[in-house]
Amino acid sequence: MGVLDEIKESIIAMKKTESPGLTQKALDEGLDAEEILDKALVPAMDTVGKQYEEGTKFIPEMLIAAKAMMGALNILKPKLTASGGKSQGKVVLGTVEGDVHDIGLKLVGMMLEGAGLDVVVLGADTSKEEFLEAIKEHNANILGMSALLTTTMPEMKEVIDFLKENGLREKVKVMVGGATLNQRFADEYGADGFAPDAAQASVLAKRLLAEQSK
Amino acid sequence: MYESKTTEITPMERMIAALNGEKTDRVPVHVYPRWAPLEYLGLTFKEAWDDPDLWVKAQILGQERYQYDCVIDYDMMGPVEEFIGTKLKYPENKVPMIEEPAIKTKEDIKKCNWKLDPRKDGNMPKVLYVIRRLKEELIKRGRGKQHVPIMTWGSCPSRTCACLTGFDRWFELIIEDPDWAQELMELAFPTWFEMVKAEIEAGADIVWVNDPVSAADCISREHYEKLTQPMERKFIEAIRRETGVNITMHPCGNWHDRMDLVAQNQADCYFLGPMDIRLCVDKITEQNKAGNARCKAINGNIGAATPSTTDGRTALPYASTMNQSTADEIEGECKEVIKAIEEEGDLRCVLGPNCWAPAKVPPVNYDAVVYAARKYGRYDGKPEA
Repeated sequence: MGVLDEIKESIIAMKKTESPGLTQKALDEGLDAEEILDKALVPAMDTVGKQYEEGTKFIPEMLIAAKAMMGALNILKPKLTASGGKSQGKVVLGTVEGDVHDIGLKLVGMMLEGAGLDVVVLGADTSKEEFLEAIKEHNANILGMSALLTTTMPEMKEVIDFLKENGLREKVKVMVGGATLNQRFADEYGADGFAPDAAQASVLAKRLLAEQSK
Repeated sequence: MYESKTTEITPMERMIAALNGEKTDRVPVHVYPRWAPLEYLGLTFKEAWDDPDLWVKAQILGQERYQYDCVIDYDMMGPVEEFIGTKLKYPENKVPMIEEPAIKTKEDIKKCNWKLDPRKDGNMPKVLYVIRRLKEELIKRGRGKQHVPIMTWGSCPSRTCACLTGFDRWFELIIEDPDWAQELMELAFPTWFEMVKAEIEAGADIVWVNDPVSAADCISREHYEKLTQPMERKFIEAIRRETGVNITMHPCGNWHDRMDLVAQNQADCYFLGPMDIRLCVDKITEQNKAGNARCKAINGNIGAATPSTTDGRTALPYASTMNQSTADEIEGECKEVIKAIEEEGDLRCVLGPNCWAPAKVPPVNYDAVVYAARKYGRYDGKPEA
């Protein structure tokens, strides 16, 4: 088994203490950081995402696998930055104001990073003003919002309306998710896309970026 | 005073009978009314938290307005976990939320307040005050007899632990250190158990317990079976043994692949999440018949803003919601739910949503639920006049 496969397997097997060392080993062997990202980290998280969708992995396994991936990514980051590595797009993520649930948000953030996107995670209980500032500051392509509570879901519409008022809505794609959400809510709020879980959020983000670049 | 000769079934009689598998005039309605009463009086959650008499007033007047069959106390996770050490924040119109979990390392266990007295510690006495005041007020309005039951709440050990460690840390512990997860649940168990006993002592008539962290959306069936379910069952059995009240369990989320295990928790009633109603009825009935369960009723499960998790056996749009659907749609769902639960003959239906009814539900949608119970849920087959 080559080192790329070993990295991939360590992530899928949730060996978060092994993945950074293997990644360093791959760099030491002269492999390019982008190649490690594309051929080990991205496919590993794709597999983990599929396993979640199939019901063979669950939130605990997803969290630990994502941490294993982040451990590897942290080794790669200085190299990716130094080489001016490709950024496929920038995403600002946050759970809406009044909602402190952020497990899903963290998973989405890690999945998107694993998919090669630049991610800014604002965390839980994010106000519309904080979303707006972050989009401007980071020149984001996508805004991702999460809500777990039926009482906080409508905040998503507030944020989208706020982006419109401030002339930013056309510049950024908006994706939403969270256990209580569905496509009907997403449409009602005026979002560009809805993803039911972290794995599909990654697919959706790529689709929205492709639409944006047309 | 005029002596009425009318012999009406009271909400108390209707609810308690259903939870014991018995029929009265019709199926009862329980909507876990957190927001409807507050909105009816124009109150925020924080206002009613800061002044518990407002909560009592809202519950009483809300029930009188909507005519559902049960009232509730604050029904939230805060007071116990807060006293143990988790820092909460209190938004203006949301339930309290975790700001800082109490336990990040094993050392933190020593700093926690595991010994608690619900009658005097933290905000727990406030919850007990609400129950006592509800009881007084209901008896007063019933001219000496309580006509509407009070349902109180208890947190299963797995949920309590997640509130103490933070949910993501709890999920990691399940994989990385299950022995510590078990130890934490053993520590958490008596805290909410003491609270539930005090709630019943204060006057609550029914208790519901819930677990939102062991669903198939969260952990594997194997982890549920080996780690969290045994503690859930122990919690429910201990409440029954010590208090004798009827117990409802809310498996929150999608539990399709483990409803057989849930049924073995020995609750009288399962308040179903957004699950296929026919599948759940079949699995619970199967466990009852095998002698592994003692379920008498199912509470649910009209869409309350939840993802669709039906496996296709029931033609219900589980993603439809109490606050998005029309009254006609709600009535249609209610009809299907009543039929699915009652047609087997052994289980009683307690009609309601599939989680706490959310905020901003149009009042007409609550009316539709009660109307449907009166129209489709009568045991003599005749709609109420």
